[in-house]
Amino acid sequence: METPSRSFNGPYVIVGVALLAVAAITVWDASTMRIRAQYGVGADAASYLIAGFLVLLAAGHFIGAFRKSDDLDAEPTDWRAIGWIALALTGLVSAIGLGAGFILGSTLLFAFTARAFGRRALLVDLLIGAALAVLVYFLFHGLLTLHLPEGPLERLL
Amino acid sequence: MHKLVKSVLGAGFAVALSAGIASAQEFEFNIIAPAGAGGGWDGAARSIQEVMVATGQARSAQVVNVPGAGGTVGLAQFAASAGADPNQLLVGGITMVGAIISNASPVSLDQVTPIARLTGDPLVVVVPSSSSIQTIDDLLAAAKADVGGTIWAGGSAGGADHMLAALITEAAGEDPAKVNYVAYSGGGEALAAMLGGQVTAGVSGYGEWQGQIESGDLRALAISYPDPIEGIEAQPLKAQGVDVELVNWRAVFAAPDVSDEDKARLSAAFDAMVSSDEWKELLVARGWTDYYMPADEFSAFLEKETESVRGVLQALGLAQ
Amino acid sequence: MDVLLNLFAGFASALTVSNLIFAAVGVFIGTAVGVLPGIGPALTVALLLPVTFKLDPGGSLIMFAGIYYGGMYGGSTTAILLNTPGEAASVVTALEGNKMARAGRGGPALATAAIGSFVAALVATFGLAFLSPIVVQIAVRFGPWDYFGLMLIAFVTVSATFGSSPLRGLTSLAFGLWLGLVGIDQLTGQARLTFGVPQLLDGIEVTTLAVGLFAIGEALHVAGRHLRNPEKPIPVKGSPWMTKEDWRRSFFPWLRGTLIGFPIGGLPAGGAEVPTFLSYNLERRLSKHQDEFGKGAIEGVAGPEAANNASAAGTLVPLLTLGLPTSATAAVMLAGFQQYNIQPGPLLFVQHADLVWALIASLFIANVMLLVLNLPLVGLWVRLLAIPLPWLYGGIMLFAAMGTVAANPSVVELLMLVGFGTLGFLMRKFDYPIAPAIVGLILGPMADSQLRRALQMSQGDPMILLQHPSSAVMIGLATLALVAPLIFKGLSKMQSDED
Repeated sequence: METPSRSFNGPYVIVGVALLAVAAITVWDASTMRIRAQYGVGADAASYLIAGFLVLLAAGHFIGAFRKSDDLDAEPTDWRAIGWIALALTGLVSAIGLGAGFILGSTLLFAFTARAFGRRALLVDLLIGAALAVLVYFLFHGLLTLHLPEGPLERLL
Repeated sequence: MHKLVKSVLGAGFAVALSAGIASAQEFEFNIIAPAGAGGGWDGAARSIQEVMVATGQARSAQVVNVPGAGGTVGLAQFAASAGADPNQLLVGGITMVGAIISNASPVSLDQVTPIARLTGDPLVVVVPSSSSIQTIDDLLAAAKADVGGTIWAGGSAGGADHMLAALITEAAGEDPAKVNYVAYSGGGEALAAMLGGQVTAGVSGYGEWQGQIESGDLRALAISYPDPIEGIEAQPLKAQGVDVELVNWRAVFAAPDVSDEDKARLSAAFDAMVSSDEWKELLVARGWTDYYMPADEFSAFLEKETESVRGVLQALGLAQ
Repeated sequence: MDVLLNLFAGFASALTVSNLIFAAVGVFIGTAVGVLPGIGPALTVALLLPVTFKLDPGGSLIMFAGIYYGGMYGGSTTAILLNTPGEAASVVTALEGNKMARAGRGGPALATAAIGSFVAALVATFGLAFLSPIVVQIAVRFGPWDYFGLMLIAFVTVSATFGSSPLRGLTSLAFGLWLGLVGIDQLTGQARLTFGVPQLLDGIEVTTLAVGLFAIGEALHVAGRHLRNPEKPIPVKGSPWMTKEDWRRSFFPWLRGTLIGFPIGGLPAGGAEVPTFLSYNLERRLSKHQDEFGKGAIEGVAGPEAANNASAAGTLVPLLTLGLPTSATAAVMLAGFQQYNIQPGPLLFVQHADLVWALIASLFIANVMLLVLNLPLVGLWVRLLAIPLPWLYGGIMLFAAMGTVAANPSVVELLMLVGFGTLGFLMRKFDYPIAPAIVGLILGPMADSQLRRALQMSQGDPMILLQHPSSAVMIGLATLALVAPLIFKGLSKMQSDED
């Protein structure tokens, strides 16, 4: 629970730290560059410039964190819904990563996303998702010869 | 349903064939173009697709674009997944050889099976028509006089264009690492820099700048091909006393573990493809030059080419 | 007058029944695919190339023209209705367009986008027919220093997209700039921030970032508060058509957007995105309804959409006159020309005049067809929002994933999409604006390489940026745009102090 009386803005501190970390990685990366430009400036110049910019912004966040701020996010998030979408995306990535194909991955993606938005009829949604995925596969793979990841299902079609 | 029946029948057919009459079997190619739509490798892959189907050597063929890192992403994926499947093909070329070296790619062309070198485009060295440079010797002299002030335009750093600019600078007696080469995302943008008079000279595939050369907006000084080419007025660097040759070749590779028998069948298929009228017409239409070399010679060529590319990239500081 | 005669001849050859059918098919496919997030026109044209092997050159090019213009039209629809732009060029459209849709004014927003696209494409196609030789002369003189000046102008206008807090806006921009570092540096071949992952060597795909931040991020954001605070279906208030007031407020933005979009599209490295940023900022500054910006100002849809479509026609200028493809779609069309042994370039207008003029005529035809196709569709698209949210977002996710997988079938790309989606959700939750990140990713690498090209040509002398009058003027304008508001603020503060 966010309490308005809190003395500083927590998310700002986290973002500030993250910006510093990203700046540090960027500087480290730039320092390992071997290829130098023969004329003009090299590829590392932009890295250093942006790292400097990030450090400035981090400082801005730290200062902002201790100011009274009006715009702290007050709206609570329904983490269960987020969890379902995370599951939907995991289903997609693992289906394609493990070679189970586009149709299965998309079906899971569709059904779990619908679940996140409060649908309870998972079986119906799985069927709708599968129908949509097959339709898309036929339209784009069949008609336009677009290559989509294939699994056992696609090879049957 | 119909498709299912067909593929089952097809599979049965294939089994029956591989038992005996192997030579009559048609391929079902899956060609990986290790670049996005619109590029040279994509064009080559789609040309193979077209001609192989048109000449009846393949029942079907599909092109899959796997773009990334000068083709090394596509190469890595191909080497890992193609196994011994004779239907899997990969398109590649000299740029991929360079990218493997400069990106220190863990997968190299040793891990796939060279089938045929197909096309070889000459690179052309040009100056804007308003330039005072008239011949390749003038350009060498300019580079000798002021190597930093002689600005070259061409495709991305470490690519064939860059290598040629470095080799010519070296032939002028200067350190190739000192070449002031401005890289553009492709021949198109570099062309604009040439026409705008922002650079001294430019390097690109001949076909890309053919229109401007014929219209007289650009003056072609030399081509990088070893021999003169019919229809191209510019003479080879070698014929003009500059001992440099570099051809932007494109080739096709098969899966890592294809059997000797499959390799022979693929070689025969490409041999037949390059001698078909369809292929010859396509080469003319695309402005490509035939540079066919069958599998065994190509393997030897590839080894030599890899070493010379490595040498240039090391001189440029792009490889260890 | 030659031009007019040629154009009439072009219409005469383009207006055959079969060519009209090709144009209609192209327009239909282009719009259908353009609507989907993540699949751009380039991929579509590449896929359709083999289909047209059997057509005559005229027919296939006319079909391409339809697909090209159609793809540019389609992009705005999802940006406006669902806040999920499918391509970078419609990111700006989402800013005001989606706010309009949420206020029940999705119909007028789609209509001003469609009519604006029509007006822009019409004017710009005339520009292509009559001004090509001039535009191309200017375009090739545009040196790296000039591009850098243009990038600076674009950068100072980004603040228009920052929303309530400059700090958070700048942070979002910096994130985009940082992402722009990733990949092999074009000028030196040096890899930046790739950590040995080969898929990162080509850099971050703008489409992946846009689809991730917008489509996936939006889905997560809406889901996160849906059950507790269900979003009501947006009622379409009033007429779905544009009112007299809407017309009045859209008209000049359409024209100004066109004037910005066409020349920049004609530049060899101009692109379609930069003009949309510039147009948005210009309309924001000129509008009499500044308070509406950020809440759904119609000018902020009309201008950028016109700029986007005008730049699509502008891209054809260097393609037809120089054979210079400045976008992926143009590169594929170039390959299409070559199929028929036609080499675009300085001689194209001379050697294949009939074909070129037929193509230009068919662009006009495609444009009219698009308007005819799209205006009735406005009512249909708006009804898309009547789909229950679970299925609507399920579908959005499915198409977003398909677009990404189709363009680049790799798990790394999908993981990036998911990562950007998560970030898009967090940015929304903590009120960081999304658009500046995309602007940063587009402009950062362009500014970086153009500046370094300039310095390479001058062998390290930064004065080259001011030695060319054109770039000096642009850098001056950018400085002015940055400093002037501060001075005005100071002046008005002094004045109010005096009062």
